[in-house]
Amino acid sequence: MKKTLITTSIALLFAAPTWALAAPPADWSTVDATELTLFYPGVSPMEWITGDIRVDRVRHGGGRAFKQGDTCADCHADEPAEMGGRIVSGEKLEPTPIAGKAGHVPVKVQAAHDGEMLYLKFTWQQPPASQGAKMDEANPVKIAYMLDAGKIETADLSGCWASCHGDSRTMPEGADDKTKYVKDGSLASGVFYDLVQWRSGENKAYDGYVADKRVMEGGSALVSAEGTQDGDNWTVVFTRKLAGGEGDVSLEPGNKYNFGFALHDGHTAGRYHYVSLGYTLGLDTEADITASKQ
Amino acid sequence: MDKSRKMDKQTPEKTGGFFSRLRKPSTKYSLGGLLIVGFVLGIIFWGGFNTAMEYTNTEKFCISCHEMHDNVYTEYKNTIHYNNRTGVRAVCSDCHVPQEWGPKMIRKVQASREVWGKLTGTINTREKFVDKRLELSRREWKRMLANDSLECRNCHSLESMDSTKQATRAARQHERALEEGTTCIVCHQGIAHELSDDMTDDDYFN
Repeated sequence: MKKTLITTSIALLFAAPTWALAAPPADWSTVDATELTLFYPGVSPMEWITGDIRVDRVRHGGGRAFKQGDTCADCHADEPAEMGGRIVSGEKLEPTPIAGKAGHVPVKVQAAHDGEMLYLKFTWQQPPASQGAKMDEANPVKIAYMLDAGKIETADLSGCWASCHGDSRTMPEGADDKTKYVKDGSLASGVFYDLVQWRSGENKAYDGYVADKRVMEGGSALVSAEGTQDGDNWTVVFTRKLAGGEGDVSLEPGNKYNFGFALHDGHTAGRYHYVSLGYTLGLDTEADITASKQ
Repeated sequence: MDKSRKMDKQTPEKTGGFFSRLRKPSTKYSLGGLLIVGFVLGIIFWGGFNTAMEYTNTEKFCISCHEMHDNVYTEYKNTIHYNNRTGVRAVCSDCHVPQEWGPKMIRKVQASREVWGKLTGTINTREKFVDKRLELSRREWKRMLANDSLECRNCHSLESMDSTKQATRAARQHERALEEGTTCIVCHQGIAHELSDDMTDDDYFN
């Protein structure tokens, strides 16, 4: 069996000695795993989610429910695979389908902390190869997660969608220089997503944020990201400090945070990714994904 | 007096215009015979009237004009009301003509306007239809909003729905609609036909 191993260790310049001692759980099998399904979203920007614009000649049927306070997961938690299949095929919300691309990817998420560090482990199986163009030549795979401290409007309902807009790059009517952004986004007011991404080809992780625009660096919470490909099985483990600096959401035991994650597969970029619905990440408290102290 | 008497004498007695004969009691036919003939003719006339009216409710009749066949019918063929798992089809009249006799008569009289539209060619090309679609849609949405989506409710009812057999999103919305009294068309505009591209925010009920 062909075995490829890619290991990344990002040692931050100012890592304190205690961080050097920190390590992910020795036995991840003792950590609860949450199985979540990422799906292909096509062209479904926030403006469509809220029911304010049309895509494919129709508005989002759930726009009314969303404005009444329903989360995306309230209605769609049991159908991401079905939605992804219909979208990736071009039946809905995708004007330029990629031949052979899978509609969804099941991902196992595990989280733990030790009072100093949060450890996030993502495990998934490589989906079948598609025949799409290499939008990101350097990176076959990228995985990212975002956290919000409850400051972003609708992030508690829609997860990452609060940063996804119709005028952003790769959208049919988007501008090439327009990135993700959130309404009233500002580091000063705390209205931002803490964004962390690992890229397989570059073998590198980025600690950034999404406020009035997406910035891929500047955060200081991330300590390391280790990605491994074993045959068709991928594993990525992120290690970050609970405390954070500018552009980081500081995490405290007992609290929970809005959480979403996404996977770019097959050298894709921009909107051509797999995304999760909006979930919560709790530290020692009940949430969709709970990081318990080890 | 003399003059009128004179005229009476000069006017020959009329024995039978059609209407005057209708006004006179029969001296030739028995009451029973007249009743039987009247009864039979009544059935024939009423049956014929209803048959003709029901024919105008058939899918065949509705799509016999190209305006309907090439536009709304073609779109509807891609929807669940045309083709579905159970094989139950809702044809044009199921959604656009009331079932009760009184409202049906009113709708049919209103529909005579569509005959005029046909004769004058108001939507006899694709371009004309597209230009007029929003006006026609608005009229129908308004009617369905006013009658609490009566034609939907002829087959569906929120009370009869088994939410455990519905998709989660559908179950949630139907339960909420029941609580809030939301009528079907509010959420289901465009369920059988495409929506006009020039709809304004006010045109969306949802």
